[in-house]
Amino acid sequence: MIKIFDISKYYNPKFPVLDNVSLHIRPGEFVSIVGQSGTGKTTLVKILTGEERVDSGKVIVGEWDITKLSRNQIPYLRRQIGVIFQDFKLLPKKTLSENIAFALQVCSQSPAKIKKIVPSVLSIVGLEDKGHRYPNEVSGGEQQRAAIARSLVHQPKILLADEPTGNLDSINANEIIELLQKINNFGTTVVLVTHNREIVNRLRKRVITMDEGRIISDQEQGKYIIR
Amino acid sequence: MFLFLFRILKLSFQDIFRNIWLSIVTVTILILALFSINSLITVQVISQNAIEAVKEKIDINLYLTNTASEEQILSLKSQLEELEQVKNVNYISKQEALLSFREKNEKNPEIIQALRELGKNPLSPTLVIMPSSSEQAPELINILRGYQSNIIESRDFTDNSIILEKINNITDKVNQVGMVIIIVFVVTSLIVVYNSIRVAIYTHRREINIMRLVGASGSFIYMPFIVSAIIYSIFSMGVIVAAFYPFLSLLQPYLEVFFVGYNIDIIGYFFSNFWQIFGLELLLVILVNVLASLVAVRRYAKI
Ligand SMILES: Nc1ncnc2c1ncn2[C@@H]1O[C@H](COP(=O)(O)OP(=O)(O)O)[C@@H](O)[C@H]1O
Ligand SMILES: [Mg+2]
Repeated sequence: MIKIFDISKYYNPKFPVLDNVSLHIRPGEFVSIVGQSGTGKTTLVKILTGEERVDSGKVIVGEWDITKLSRNQIPYLRRQIGVIFQDFKLLPKKTLSENIAFALQVCSQSPAKIKKIVPSVLSIVGLEDKGHRYPNEVSGGEQQRAAIARSLVHQPKILLADEPTGNLDSINANEIIELLQKINNFGTTVVLVTHNREIVNRLRKRVITMDEGRIISDQEQGKYIIR
Repeated sequence: MFLFLFRILKLSFQDIFRNIWLSIVTVTILILALFSINSLITVQVISQNAIEAVKEKIDINLYLTNTASEEQILSLKSQLEELEQVKNVNYISKQEALLSFREKNEKNPEIIQALRELGKNPLSPTLVIMPSSSEQAPELINILRGYQSNIIESRDFTDNSIILEKINNITDKVNQVGMVIIIVFVVTSLIVVYNSIRVAIYTHRREINIMRLVGASGSFIYMPFIVSAIIYSIFSMGVIVAAFYPFLSLLQPYLEVFFVGYNIDIIGYFFSNFWQIFGLELLLVILVNVLASLVAVRRYAKI
């Protein structure tokens, strides 16, 4: 599903943020990426969404070589990849439903489809009765659920979660992780970037550890390596 | 397609209203720019009319001696008609001159009375000369000044080349100042439009960020800002069209006083050239504003 061949990325010509990273993720996998802050995890996510470009190497998502993608093609890549973040990136002046509908509107979906998709993704994340609320009227965990619902509107094959539990208490965090597992069980490939050792250790899934722009370990059913 | 347009328009109106003060300033500057351009056009039209009016009033008259015989007069007439600067020569005999003089002063009994008391026709035969073009008038006047003929009693040239020159000078000055004003306003409105689009992008950075994230196509991200620029243009043009006619009707009476006897219709001019003037201006202002906002979008709303 995701094949990364020897990519490097420099913001500053002297220090690579990503240094010859190679990585293969199979369809339907649930992968955690861990590592200290500043080791290039977010940069890796941004490269997968086409927000940043690599300076060398090749990245293949699905059938696309995204390092060769033109500016006009990037939106289509992004519809194949759902992304969620630590800050939920919801619009405060729109209800949860409107936030989700907005994502469909700006991708030229018809009102009829929007009417069908919004409730269905809300029910996947368990917010069917809270769609009319504004983000500041629900908990952080619920906001993140809404963000997940929004990331699902195009039925992406990949879901990238960059520290999705960073702003949540452990109960809400666990619920979000359970939701990610549920989505993974539907067949979506999930890439989870996290700091949370407890979560990683309990998942018993593949764990990739990064340090200073390199992958220092990659284990099936791995654990969070303490440094 | 319709849906796309509708959504873009909605986003664009959101831009405009969310920064309503900035929008008002933008439109005001655009209105001032357009007003200065149209004022300059008005000045052009007026001065063109003034020049025409003055040119029309060129009078070249040769008054002949009372003793000149019909034969002499007609031979002078045909000699003059051979000059290339002359279009035609109109011979007004003593009797005709008297008739038209009486007609002109019909309502002036004192003059008629004085004429009657005089007992004889005091007017002289006249040759009224039309130059072949107003440009050639000065040359013709020069020739006639030195023209030798013993039946010419006096010569009367209204030499309006000085007036024409004055009008031209004033028009040139107004044009120069006007051009500077227009350039200042156009540059200002470019900067203002650029900046308001930039601010609109800044206020919408969350939306833009989210649109990018969910895979909105580039046109969805930048079109609302371009459309806002077009709406600013259309709106300010509309205000100008609505405000300029009242302005002209205020001007018209003054012009009529100034151009007595000459038919000047500034409103009519703007009406009959409506599309050439306002249509062209609208196209230009849209072009300029779209360019300014494209630059802003390129720089600040990357996909
Ligand atoms: N846009 C950017 N310009 C310059 N440096 C950046 C930029 N984004 C990230 N960095 C730097 O790259 C390094 C890796 O950042 P990031 O990928 O966010 O790490 P992580 O997500 O693992 O904390 C950090 O040192 C950060 O300061
Ligand atoms: Mg990060």
